[in-house]
Order: sequence, then structure tokens, then C-alpha cells
Amino acid sequence: MVIVMLFGSPVTHAVDVITNISADTASITTTQLRRIYSMRQVRWANGVPITIFVLSSTNTIHQKFCKETLRLFPYQLDRIWNKLTFSGMGVAPTIVSSEKELIQAVKSTTGAIGYIENIDEVSDVNLLKIDE
Amino acid sequence: MSTCLKLMNKLNCKLLCLLGVITFNSLAQDDQSAESFKIHGFVAQGVIDVDGSNFVNDEDGLSLELTEIGLNTSYKFADDFRFAAQAVYLNGGNRYNEGLRVDYFLMDWNAYSSDKWQANLFIGRIKNTHWLHSSTRDIPFARPSILLPQGAYFDGFRDIAMGGDGAALKLDYNHDEYGEFDFNFSRGKSTINSDDAEVILSDLAQGNIEHDLDSQVSVYWHPVFSQWKFGLTLLDSEFNYDGETRDFFVDGRFVFQFYTVNALYEGEEWEFTTEILQTRFLTEGFYSPQFHQDNLGQGGSFQARYKVDQKLTLISRYDLFYADKDDKKGYELEKLSFGVVPSYFGYQHDAMLGFSYDFTHNLRVNAEYHWVEGAARLNPIVLPNPLVNNQERWEMWAVQLMYWF
Repeated sequence: MVIVMLFGSPVTHAVDVITNISADTASITTTQLRRIYSMRQVRWANGVPITIFVLSSTNTIHQKFCKETLRLFPYQLDRIWNKLTFSGMGVAPTIVSSEKELIQAVKSTTGAIGYIENIDEVSDVNLLKIDE
Repeated sequence: MSTCLKLMNKLNCKLLCLLGVITFNSLAQDDQSAESFKIHGFVAQGVIDVDGSNFVNDEDGLSLELTEIGLNTSYKFADDFRFAAQAVYLNGGNRYNEGLRVDYFLMDWNAYSSDKWQANLFIGRIKNTHWLHSSTRDIPFARPSILLPQGAYFDGFRDIAMGGDGAALKLDYNHDEYGEFDFNFSRGKSTINSDDAEVILSDLAQGNIEHDLDSQVSVYWHPVFSQWKFGLTLLDSEFNYDGETRDFFVDGRFVFQFYTVNALYEGEEWEFTTEILQTRFLTEGFYSPQFHQDNLGQGGSFQARYKVDQKLTLISRYDLFYADKDDKKGYELEKLSFGVVPSYFGYQHDAMLGFSYDFTHNLRVNAEYHWVEGAARLNPIVLPNPLVNNQERWEMWAVQLMYWF
């Protein structure tokens, strides 16, 4: 059964943001999304820890997501994540090697968040509406 | 024979580090799904050529003393608790003591978390994360250049400035209109062994130097959707020297205070960074029982980076440092030392040009050329060596290849 949960009409983005169904969140603001990806918000509103999956910073989907959705440059996120990882102060997102792997990781990991280019082919995940 | 054994020990140390990194790299790649357990690391080797100073070694010419290998792990063993540790092997010649060290070994407690606030308490060996580049100063791919501006990131103080055993508090606040605010506080003490003392003080120091508790505070502000970020940092630390009976130096006390303000602009192609600093260096005793000196040093660096494309980035920086703001030319320094220490030991300015090129997302080469004037940031800093550093102007270049995972 296809359980792509659409909450309202999402703002059109070249890249869509998906979460594991445990995240129990229908919409999110760009500011909140930036907080999550810069590791400044580590839990969903329901208390479930957030697990982030990303593609490599040289991947075009990742670059699109950073620039168009987060309004950040990929190197800015790399810098934040490297600082956390190599100072012991935090944990960087897990980098997966393909979009298919990313979708699978979001589906199977509680509290996971990720992004995809084509939502039509995906099931069993929660599509987030992004409010400006 | 002893030189041969020393060389073998060095090679063994490097080989062990490399083996560790290669093994854990495979583990890290095999186990992507283990979200609670993470391993990361890096290997970097370069060549450096210094002409006119003992920055890397006492002889001019090409040197391979530009090795950095590191491995770290993070293990989340409960919802709010995490363990993290990092070990590094460094060889930078005279810049710092060659060998293995544990940079951090800590327990992280996520004490409070919401969409606006996040509070973390760290206990154990904590890495200094206060200054703009302090947390990544020896992470080759995460710093802007092979050598950092020595005014703020003097390599001789690397092990003292890197952090210490104690605790740190990190408080993040997010405001929808005003942006992101970070508040960091740490208190701890670093271990200084006899080799570190030799690098900083000179090989004439027979006694022990101890680091008393130091306190550091930093505040950062990132306005909402802005390309700018601003920071303010404060450090207060104290050191005591216990001289030996037959020692060139006597008991002494050093107070080191360090304040910086910094600004960072991160654009798509251009990036600008500035970090302005003031230091207070109080010395009581050490040279003689009555000796008293209270200097305010000043400096700052201005850096521009331009991303030509996704692979190539150009960098240019100018770094100024005055050991005593009231003696910028160093004339008083020369006078007080009866001419033994030349005036150019009172300052050090460094103009740098370089580039970095990314072959893949985790393989990069960095290259840079430095034109330096002055010798205020050359080891041993407490007892300068004008016999080796006998030129006001000196130059160096370096190329370093780095891989990380």
C-alpha cells in the first residue's frame, strides 16, 4: 500500500524532504530545516531523536537541496559537520552512496530525515510540507 | 645506533597510525547502518621548505616533517549520552612536539533539547572549540590552509591551546528573527610534558611547567539567513614553573590571557574571514627572582578565499602579530636584552598565497607560499634563538596531500 502522506499542498521544491513515519510531523519551516541539518535541533516535536541521511557533497541532488531548500552552500554544512565530528562535540549525518540507499535508510530508521528528487516513486515515507 | 632506533620508532609509530586508519576506514565503510557508532579519520603528508628560520627545523631545505594522521570515534550508548575520542599523530618538526596524543576523550550529555534550545555538558578531555579554527586546527581538510595564522594559532602553544582535562558547557539558542546564538564555556587544565616544555621554553629548562585551571568563554551569532557570522572569545590561564636546583631558570609564574573577535562571510564564490586578537602575557620570576613583565600583544589576520569552481579554491591571507603593543618595532626588547635579542623578535607578519584542489570529495591537495617578516612566533618563544633565526625576513612554501573519511 502506498502511504505517501501528503499534508496540504507543499511548496514546490526541486528536491523534496522525506522523513520516517515515526517523525509524526506534517510541515516544517525552512529555518527549522536549517536547524536540523546544522545539528542544532536533534529531536522531533514528539521527542524522537532525529537521524539525518545525506548524499555526498559533490552529488547534484545534495547541492540542489542545500542551495534551493536550505539556502546554504554545501561547503557550509560540511564545515559545521567537520567541526562537530573532529572536536567530539557532535555527530555528523550519515553519508549514503545513492538516492535509493537514502530512501531505504529513511524508511527503516526511526526518526530519520532525508531528501529525494522524485517523490512519485516512493512509498512508506512521510513527505514534509515546507513553509517559508 | 640510538639515532637509528629513534628513526625506527618514528617509522613504527607512523606505520601503526596508518594501519589503524586503514583498518577503521574499512570498518566505517562496512557499517554505515550502525547509527550509534561512528568512526572518522584522516591522513595527510606534505613537504615544507623554510628558508631563513627554524620554523620547522634548524637546517634550511626540503622537509617531510608535515605529517598528520588522526582517528576518532563516537558511540551513542543512550538517548542523551555519547562517548567520543580522538587520537592524532603529528610531526611538524620544531612547530610542536612530534608524536601521538589524545585530543579528546569525553562524555557528552545532551541535558536539554527543544526546537529552540540545546544544552550539552561535556566531561573528560575536551577540545578547544572557542576560536574560529581551534577545533579544526590540525584537521588538514577542515582548516583553510596548511599553516594557520601564527598570531592566533601559534603552533608552539598547540598542545596547551588544544584543550584540557575538565568540563565544557555548550548552549545553542535559535531565534526565528534574530538568528542563531552559541554560548560555550570550558574549564580545564592541559598536561605539559618535558618535551612540550623544551619546545616552548628551550632545552635549557630543567624544571617542570604546570598548567593551572584555565577558563574560556565564547559567544557566536549567526543572523537569520545571513552569510555573516560573528564571534567573541575570552581565555584566562596561568602556568607555574618549578626550577630545578641546577637550572638555568628560577621558579616563575606566567599568566596568559587571550581575547579575540572574529567575523566570517560565507558566499557562494567568495569567503572572507578576520580574527582580531589581544593577548596579555605576565611573567613573574623565571629569568630571575625579581623579574616582572606585563605585556599586551596585539594582532589579527585577514583572509579571502575564492572558489574558482567546485574543485579549485584560491586563498590569500595577511597575518600581523606584535608581542608588545607598546613596542611594535621591538626596540625595547632589543634594549632590555642588551642587544642579544634583535628587535625583529618583537613582531611577526605573514603574507600568504595558496590554493587547494579537490580530486574527489575526500582527497585534496593544498599548496601555499608565505613571505614572513619578524620572528616573534618562532620556538622556543620564551628564550628566543637569534643564532638560528638571524634574518628578519624569511620565506617558506608547503604542499600537502590529504585523505579523509
